[in-house]
Amino acid sequence: MSRSPDPVVVVVEDEQQIRRFICSALQAGDCHVIEAETTARGLIETQSRKPDLLILDLGLPDGDGLEVIRRVREWSALPILVLSARAGEGDKVAALDLGADDYLTKPFGVAELMARVRALLRRTALARGVESALVRFGTVEVDLAGRNVTRDGETVHLTPIEYKLLAHLVANAGRVLTHRRLLAEIWGPNHVEHVHYLRVHMASLRRKLEPTPAFPAHIRTETGVGYRLVL
Amino acid sequence: MLFPLAVLFSAIRLGRGPAVFAALLSVVLFDVFFVPPRFTLGVNDLQYLLTFGVLLVVALITAELAAGLRTQRDVAKEHGEQAGALYAVARELSAALTVEQVSEVAARTVREVFGARARLWLPDDDGRLKSVDDADCDGPPDARVCEVWQSGRAEGSSDGTLYVPLPGPMRVRGVLALRRADSTDVDAPERRRLLDALASLLGIALERMHYVTVAQRTGIEIETERTRNALLAALSHDLRTPLTAIAGLADTIALTPPLLSAEQSELVSAIRVEALRTGTLVHNLLDLARFEAGGLRLRREWLPVDEIVGASLQACTSVLTRHRLELDLPANLQMIEVDAVLMERALGNLVENAAKYTPAGSTIAISARAAGEHMEVSVCDDGPGLPDGPAEDLFGRFVRGRAASGVSGTGLGLAIVDAVVRAHGGRLRAANRAQAGACFTLELPLGSPPLVEEPVA
Repeated sequence: MSRSPDPVVVVVEDEQQIRRFICSALQAGDCHVIEAETTARGLIETQSRKPDLLILDLGLPDGDGLEVIRRVREWSALPILVLSARAGEGDKVAALDLGADDYLTKPFGVAELMARVRALLRRTALARGVESALVRFGTVEVDLAGRNVTRDGETVHLTPIEYKLLAHLVANAGRVLTHRRLLAEIWGPNHVEHVHYLRVHMASLRRKLEPTPAFPAHIRTETGVGYRLVL
Repeated sequence: MLFPLAVLFSAIRLGRGPAVFAALLSVVLFDVFFVPPRFTLGVNDLQYLLTFGVLLVVALITAELAAGLRTQRDVAKEHGEQAGALYAVARELSAALTVEQVSEVAARTVREVFGARARLWLPDDDGRLKSVDDADCDGPPDARVCEVWQSGRAEGSSDGTLYVPLPGPMRVRGVLALRRADSTDVDAPERRRLLDALASLLGIALERMHYVTVAQRTGIEIETERTRNALLAALSHDLRTPLTAIAGLADTIALTPPLLSAEQSELVSAIRVEALRTGTLVHNLLDLARFEAGGLRLRREWLPVDEIVGASLQACTSVLTRHRLELDLPANLQMIEVDAVLMERALGNLVENAAKYTPAGSTIAISARAAGEHMEVSVCDDGPGLPDGPAEDLFGRFVRGRAASGVSGTGLGLAIVDAVVRAHGGRLRAANRAQAGACFTLELPLGSPPLVEEPVA
């Protein structure tokens, strides 16, 4: 089996020192890295190099990182990892709602960065390969084809809403799904403000699937933002 | 027939007394000079006595009517003068921009109209009454000023000073003290009415000034908050950026060949840990700054308690590796309406504290229960417990429980928890457990959560 070529990553970040350590970490992780300092340059590189991943700082000097996400999403579904130095949840949610896949708040370490990068690249690899209908996390097995969920080998009874939620999380494993997005997908666009629906059903899903529902290992809460399934 | 004319004239010019005198005099003169026998008071014909009587009555009625007219004219004139004076005061007050100007107008008017000395007592920002003008009388107001201020009714004192409240449309705005001189007349009803009108004008002017100040202050506050938020955001960005570089570059040293010695990699790891910790500190400080300035708005949402607990545990996974966790969260707990991000940090701080201040292997127990009107979320441990003294002392900023214990920290953790819980209308309690260890409890108000109906899917 021939080894697939190294993944290509575009890094758009204006701070030289931060760019430097991100790039060396990515190179150590066998990625081919292309650097950009501005949104304009970032967009050009993303269009011409067709990368496997875009790492994007939201606070760039020549424009808003959100604009880059919007432009890229017009023609590509490539994974986008957002870096933010702002404390509020607002811009993260905005970035994710526009189609970013994950975010990191500064300051962060290389280990955190690489964990996110690997998760996003794995998603791309999975999407390229044969879509697996059987997904496992912990002792839970989700059979998307048979609409069947088991835990420790025993069938778990989920309500239709819970199953839809789970299926959506599984299909987007590793990505952060905002409240708004989940609500729109499952309840429809008229219910995007009813976050408490989502929370209640998520809580009961956890009680059925997580060994310690109040300290979930897989169905993680991204406070103020949304949820993420960690496989 | 000239006599009634004389009576009328004297009544108009000189008043009632002289007019009556003129009436009597005219009858006598008529008797002496025109009625025979002349030049005596005697009368030959008794018929003249009737004439005298009629003459006298006519003269007296004329005098009375004329004198009445005169009084009315005088009253009208005085009313006119008073209205003029009040109009002038009103005009001056409407042009006044400061409390000092109002005070000056009051003093001048009282001097000119009442011939008395005036002093204005007004409340300061703390509600204490202060004299406006005289720097030499800066002492506390005497008891009567406060009494008038509270009752809103004018009162006199034994030394001849009259205290008049200054009523604005909403409330009493101050007290005017009138020190009477000998010529002062404020007891006549119309003088009193004049004084009351003056007091009302002063009250309205002061109230207007009060609201102008309030409006200006609100404007300044909005502007300050905007500036502050922009500043904090910039500060946050400017501090996080170098910290990110430090942590990341330290990691890079460790990951770049050649491999470091054990000691070197420990140093590098320490750099990374400290940089990340400083990041947390920046976060805490900025949050606290926002809280103190009152600029932090809660984004309240209905949340299941176990989601908050889960998120806060997730956020401090790294410090929990050497502790046992015990969770007691009933499945049917009511949701609470809180700011998810802040509450996660509050609970996370408590868990982190429990992990930091207890030895490895200790148990951290997190429980929640609805108790009456409140949801109680507790974080307890079986460590050494709280130091002696009131537990609330620990909630201050930069206060650290066991300074000598060698645990790194800044003493901001509990201050933030306390601030967050207070902002939610709740309370933070801390106590030692009967067995061993400390217990921190968040007491949050329960509301009525929205219904969640299962839509037909």
